[in-house]
Parts: sequence; structure tokens; C-alpha cells
Amino acid sequence: MASERYSFSLTTFSPSGKLVQIEYALAAVAAGAPSVGIKACNGVVIATENKHKSILYDEHSVHKVEMITKHIGMIYSGMGPDYRLLVKQARKMAQKYFLTYREPIPTVQLVQRVAAVMQEYTQSGGVRPFGVSLLICGWDSGRPYLFQCDPSGAYFAWKATAMGKNYINGKTFLEKRYSEDLELDDAVHTAILTLKESFEGQMTADNIEVGICDESGFRRLEPSHVKDYLANIP
Amino acid sequence: MALAEICGMSDFDTFRREAPFDNEIAKMSNNFTHNTLLSVPPYSNPAENLAYFSKDESGRDIKIKFDHGTTTLGFMYKGGVVLAVDSRATGGQFIGSQTMKKIVEINDFLLGTLAGGAADCVYWDRVLAKQCRMYELRNRERISVAAASKLMANMVYNYKGMGLSMGMMLAGWDKRGPQLYYVDSEGTRTPGKVFSVGSGSIYAFGVLDSGYKWDLTDEEAYDLGRRSIYHATHRDAYSGGIVRVYHMKPTGWVHIDNNDCMDLHYKYQDEKLQEINKV
Amino acid sequence: MSILAYNGGAMVAMKGDKCVSIASDKRFGIQAQTIATNFQKIFEMGPHLYVGLPGLATDTQTVMEKLRFRKNLYELKENRPMSPKVFSAMLSNMLYENRFGPFFVEPIVAGLDPGTYEPYICNMDLIGCPNQPNDFVVGGTASSQLFGMCESLWEPNLGPDDLFETTSQALINAFDRDAISGWGAVVYIIEKDKVTVRDLKTRMD
Repeated sequence: MASERYSFSLTTFSPSGKLVQIEYALAAVAAGAPSVGIKACNGVVIATENKHKSILYDEHSVHKVEMITKHIGMIYSGMGPDYRLLVKQARKMAQKYFLTYREPIPTVQLVQRVAAVMQEYTQSGGVRPFGVSLLICGWDSGRPYLFQCDPSGAYFAWKATAMGKNYINGKTFLEKRYSEDLELDDAVHTAILTLKESFEGQMTADNIEVGICDESGFRRLEPSHVKDYLANIP
Repeated sequence: MALAEICGMSDFDTFRREAPFDNEIAKMSNNFTHNTLLSVPPYSNPAENLAYFSKDESGRDIKIKFDHGTTTLGFMYKGGVVLAVDSRATGGQFIGSQTMKKIVEINDFLLGTLAGGAADCVYWDRVLAKQCRMYELRNRERISVAAASKLMANMVYNYKGMGLSMGMMLAGWDKRGPQLYYVDSEGTRTPGKVFSVGSGSIYAFGVLDSGYKWDLTDEEAYDLGRRSIYHATHRDAYSGGIVRVYHMKPTGWVHIDNNDCMDLHYKYQDEKLQEINKV
Repeated sequence: MSILAYNGGAMVAMKGDKCVSIASDKRFGIQAQTIATNFQKIFEMGPHLYVGLPGLATDTQTVMEKLRFRKNLYELKENRPMSPKVFSAMLSNMLYENRFGPFFVEPIVAGLDPGTYEPYICNMDLIGCPNQPNDFVVGGTASSQLFGMCESLWEPNLGPDDLFETTSQALINAFDRDAISGWGAVVYIIEKDKVTVRDLKTRMD
């Protein structure tokens, strides 16, 4: 294959102008666990699958939904270890911002900074791009924010989006269900429905994770709370 | 009882009460009868040995902060002698007074200016005034400025090296006509036509030298003195307040006027603007 | 002599009712010698944001340019005006970065919040210890005198005109007792929809 000749170094373009390593990274994301994010009028929700390969696994110990600062949260599709590095960096950057300006970091600023880190890993020697796409949600200056960050360092502001396995179906589903005046509760419901679209097996409060962010800040929903939402799903 | 009388115990009480009191008065004021009886540092050759105590244990200078900044000037011209001074007293960068009198009226025919340590100047001018009056009473004629200035120079010379700080001008009119002397605490004593003393003197000289000539009219002379001091107060942070002008005439000194530096500034500024507008 | 007193200068900022004032003298001197009487020590950093930098004149200008650089970069990055509070935090950090070789300035920040128009004043020492009182802040070589004047003249809820009068009187009468500040003064009154700049007639000695 011609592309293999250009795949040894991630900083080398292929003749068609592509950086194939980045495309492979995106492929890793597309093969990862699905996640969705939806912006409502009074908050924003992010949700993801957290399936375990064995019943011996101690669920609710390692999380996919992480808080970055009081008012920003993050989930991912792709490779867990890469994600945790980015979470660590994001938390540091948020605290650095607060230290410098005595003001919580605006979501956009955090996204830009995280994206800059991801971009750096597409242009440095001896490293590989991150195998994750992030969904970053936040609340500042009186409104919700939802961003997606890709391994290339590109970032997008969404009203609602899906990533990971079956993301095309997820997005199509969201396009049909989304409306501007959605309330946060409805958005959580829709997010779970979107995950359910491609969910294999029985969806329970133990194999999905939900985070919401509104005026009062970001929080991960307790399994009991998720259970209440699941009860309303046919 | 008898023993007490023999021993003089009956006088003991009065001795205790009165004699020390008289002694004390004498002690406290003996510098008026013998003005050189100031307490000097209590060790031999104070002028030389004082230097050992001018630094603290960490090597920093020990210094008493007092009035140092000043601008004073005096010059002779055909109409006599003009003296002009500012009125600011500073302690460090703090302005202690804006109305200090830096010209001392020693007698009707003798004026002294102060620059340097305020207390030093005031004290020694007072001593000089006394000495001059004593001379007058003893000799039935006024002391010459040359003699007065020499008295001053000799008095302060006794304390050379012990920290006196003064630079003064003596202006007067005696048998030999108008006189102007400069005397300082280093021991300098010199007659001259144009002097300026103090931190602002460099600025005053700039104006004074460029405008000075022997044939000034009285008004021109006053204005030159005034302007010189004003310009010095403008540039020098430690000079300011009021410009006082005195004129020494054959009939004795006359106080010409006092002008606030602020009024002078805006007056001169207006004059300058009018000058520009004319052209 | 302290290097903070090498050039001289006096500065004050006061809070009023929906307005703030900041004022300084205009002297630039080298110790006792007055070099210029039109030296700028207060700088506009935004429509409602002013910073005054009394102290060593060379650092006044350097710090101002460094601040302008950082503030412009922030505003480009974030696409919004910098609030006085953020500005002060940034300045405080910048000064502490040079903890062991400081800039010899004791800054004063005065302004209105760009969103709420809340009055804000702040001063800090040369290594950035911030102080945000509710009445007034002072700085420069006449700061003891300014404290005295402000303590006696300031009162709460002064309107813009009264604030101007109070600030001016406090400044003038303070630096008239300081040998190395004065020689003209400038007063800024910052209100929601206008900023008034006035030069004061002062003693010039």
C-alpha cells in the first residue's frame, strides 16, 4: 500500500496531503466507546458507555466522566490512558489560569489550550497523536458550552453531537431529536436514548456514565440518579 | 545638735536646695557667656576621633537628618548689596516648613543668610549678633563686615570636623562701603561680588551670572535676585516656598518684598506667553 | 535613599458612587533635580481601566509596556475586555515573577468592571502583594501625607464632581509637603459613559 510508505513518521505528509497517523488516530476513536453531548437551554449533558468485559470488574471505581474545574467536565471516545493524560493537563491548565487571573477559566479557553496540546502531538518527534476525541462541556458567562476536540487538534462547538462507535447513526438520531428549547432533563433523556440506539445488550446504571453542567457547576450523576432516567426509557 | 553645727549640717539643707539650682542655671546657659563652651564629644581630639563613630556596626553612615536644601544668593552692584533667599526647610524629603526666615537681621547694617544645618546657622548667627553688639558697646562704633565675618569664621573653625554644616553670606555696609562675605563651616571666609549658596545655587547662578552687571538699577537688581531664586526653586526639590529679597543700602538694610513661588511661576509664565504672542 | 524615591512622585485613587478617580503628580526628577514637569505615570489600559505606576521612572515605562503586551494578548485570545480585577491579578503575578529582582514600582489600578460597571481600586507593593480596600489607595513618595489627607477628606458615595474635588485636594495638599513630588497634577474621573481628564494648577517649586 502506498500510504504505508508515509506512515512511519507522523510528521510526514503523504503525496495526497494527508497525515495518515492522524487518520489512524481518528479510526481508533471511531472504534472506541460511543459518547454523546447535548446542550440544553439551562445546561449541558455529556454521556458515554462504560461497558465492562467481565462481571468481576468493580464498576464505579474508574470513571470516564471527569471534572476539570467546578464548571467544566469532560468525556471521551478512544483510548483511556491517553484521555487521563489530557485530563491531568486540562486540570493543570485550568488551575494555572485561575492562578494568573483570579478568575475561573472560560470553557473556550480550556478547549483551546487542550486542543493546542493535542496539536503539538501531531507535529513533534518521537510521539504519536492522542487516540481520543474529547467532549468538553462547561458553563460560564451565564450560558452552556459544548466542544469536541479531535486528535488533530481541531475543535468544534456543538449543540449536540456523538462520537465513537456508530457515531453517524448517533448524529442522525440527534438531528431528528434536537430542539433549541430543550430543558436539561429532556437533554439527559435524549442523550441516553442516543446511546441506546447503538447499545449492545442491556443498558443499566452501571454501564453508562452521565455528567451534567449547569449554573451550579459540573457534576457526575450518581448511578441511582441515572437509574431514574433509565426508568423512563421504554 | 552641737555636732551638727560644728559639722555645718545646719547649712546642709540650703546648700542642697539652692546651690545646685544656681549651678544648673550657670551650666545650662554658660554658652551665652562663653559661646565656645558647647559640649563636644567626650574624648580627646574630637574632630579626629569623631570619625570612628560616624558608622554603625554594619558600616552604614550614621547621619542626623536636618535641613540641608536651600537656595540663597547675594550680589553687589552700584546700589549696594542685594540678598535673596527661598524659605523651604526640609528634613529628608519631607517639607517641614515653607515659611522659614533664612535671612537673619543681625543688626541694622548687617544681614546674614543661612544655608546648611538650620540649627547651626541660627545659633551661630545669634552668637555673632551678640558679639557684634558687644563690639559696638566697647568701641562706640559699628563693627566692620570684615571683622564680623572673621569672628564668625573663627568661631566655627573651632568645631571644624565635628559636623557643623553651614554656608552663609554676610552682607553689610560699613565705613568702607558695601560689603559681601562668604563664610562656611569648613573655615572658608572670602569677600566677593556674587555668591550663591545651597543645593539650588547651581540653578541660581545660571540665571544670576547671565543677568548680572554692576550698573543694574535697584529694581533690576531685585528682579534678578528674585528670578534667580525662583528658577532655583523650580528645579531644586529642596528649595521653595517664598522668595525674600533684602537690599543693603548706606542707610541700613531694607526688606524689599516677599513673593510666593507659585505666584511668581504663573506671573513669569504669563510674561513668557505674552512675549511669544508679540513675535 | 530608597530607589523607589529616586525619581519622586505621588499617586492616589478613590472610590466614589458609580465612579472612581485616579490622580498623580507630573514630576520627573533625578533626586533633587527636576527634569520634566509633564511625565506620564497613569496609563489607559482600556475604556474603563487605568493603571498608575509610581516609583522608578524607567520601571514605570517598562512595566506599563509589559502590561499592555499581556493585556492585549489576553484580549485577542479571549475576545473580551479585561476587567480591572483580572488586570490586577495579572499584574500581581507579573511583579511576583520578579520577586528577587523586582521592578521598583508600587502600582495602583483603578477602573470599572466592563460588565457591571462596579467601581474597583487596588494597589500593591513592588512584588505584587495586592490590597483592595473600599475607600482609597495611595502610592509614591508622598504616601504618608496622602494617607493623612485621604483619611480626613474621603467619605462614602461621593458623586463624580465631589470625588474630583476630594481627590485633587488630597493630592495637592499631600505633595506640597513632599520635596520630590508635585510640579503639576492630572486627575482622571472614570464614569460609566465618560472619563474626564483634568490638569491641576499647582505650586511649581
